[in-house]
Amino acid sequence: MQYRHVQVIDGKGALRGIAVDAQARGELYAAGDSEIKVFDAAGKLARRWPTARPAQSVAVAGDGAVYAGELGQIEIFDGAGKLRDTWRDDELLRRVTAIGFTGDSVLAGDSADRAIRRFDRGGRFLNNIGKDNPLGGLLIPNGVVDFGVDAEGIVFAANPGKHRVERYAPGGELLGHIGRFHGIDPAGFTGCCNPTNVAIRDAIYTAEKAGPRAKAYDFSGKLLAVIATDLFDANCKNMSIAVDARGRVYVVDTVKQSVFVFERVNA
Amino acid sequence: MSEEVTRRDLFATVARGTVLAVLGGGAGFLVKKANGQVVWQVNASRCINSRLGDLGVEACNLCTTECVVALSAVRAVNEYSKCGRCNICPAYFNITSAVNELGQPSEKLCPRDAIERRPIGKVDPEDPANNFYEYIIDEEKCDGCGKCVMKCKEPLGLGSITLRVRYDRCVNCNRCSISKACPQDALMQLLVSQALQPAGIERPG
Repeated sequence: MQYRHVQVIDGKGALRGIAVDAQARGELYAAGDSEIKVFDAAGKLARRWPTARPAQSVAVAGDGAVYAGELGQIEIFDGAGKLRDTWRDDELLRRVTAIGFTGDSVLAGDSADRAIRRFDRGGRFLNNIGKDNPLGGLLIPNGVVDFGVDAEGIVFAANPGKHRVERYAPGGELLGHIGRFHGIDPAGFTGCCNPTNVAIRDAIYTAEKAGPRAKAYDFSGKLLAVIATDLFDANCKNMSIAVDARGRVYVVDTVKQSVFVFERVNA
Repeated sequence: MSEEVTRRDLFATVARGTVLAVLGGGAGFLVKKANGQVVWQVNASRCINSRLGDLGVEACNLCTTECVVALSAVRAVNEYSKCGRCNICPAYFNITSAVNELGQPSEKLCPRDAIERRPIGKVDPEDPANNFYEYIIDEEKCDGCGKCVMKCKEPLGLGSITLRVRYDRCVNCNRCSISKACPQDALMQLLVSQALQPAGIERPG
């Protein structure tokens, strides 16, 4: 499987988390600085609105609601940027670096506690994911919890200190993992802690730091493609990755403050 | 005429004042140096081994080769509050070496084997990835070559290891031979009160 680079989106400032819209309109949502930015399918900034605190992550629910992960809270907006609700919790939402949805639940990665929190749609805490292990959480020396969710609601969490992507049931049970350390073989994850970021669609998509690269694996852990390496600034770290319904892969270059877009060749 | 004299007087006064200030400052600096209040130190944001942005280059070992002290008065120091306690530390392992049966690199990075790796907390003997590790630098072995510093810096590591002048070893030369050789001007002589890091001796472990 091969990918080609097809587009660069100017991030218009700092970029942290990105997400694609659930309606497959080709919109890309980005969190950075203290705002949410929405780019249209052509990569043009369509709209932006401020967040109350620095935005670390963003996700778009099936009903179009936009969830912004921040320090100590999640803000929920409608698609136009009007604030609908704020979930504040200084214990469970200390630094929300990823947001996702499974069934009727909202998932929030709290990097301060190295765990994924599961809430119901009303914001009531249900359970932790990735916390119940001898190390007391995910190993994230890189400082970011990131995860994706597949169509069945299984949570795929990056566990970079273990060089793995771990599969969890929504209730928190560890189901298995893919990935291993290797400093040379591109099928492995190198350095102290990779992959730092993950996205799920038809495959497992990962982003790594030092050297920065994006890859795709099948669900058994077989490497399908090295999507890109050389395009990214070598100092990039915690490069958020997203995949839309058409299979286009979006990867943040945190230094160039841009999103690189890739398409599968002969898809 | 009287205006010219006034101007000459003014120049002379300024010149005398400048000379006195320079001499006074220099003398004061020397007195402070004699009293041990002046120290050499490595500025981590200038040292190529630790400063951000220099990736894919060989570690600079001038602190090892130029220092007049045996091995070097500069040693690598791990700041534990910053260390990620990783299973696979790029400053400890040669991460491009072959992977062994434990799934880890088979070679260490330090040519003097000066870094010790200890599991801490609850230890899982079955899976090394389930443990936290502490990395302790043996300063008796370390010669300040900077290899571990280069591999520890962001984004590969967390930048917890830096090179520091150890004041129980440094003989405080008037003109530090490392500073003469360092192309980055990373060795700086500062008053203890102005030092970028504590001048006291810090020992890991």
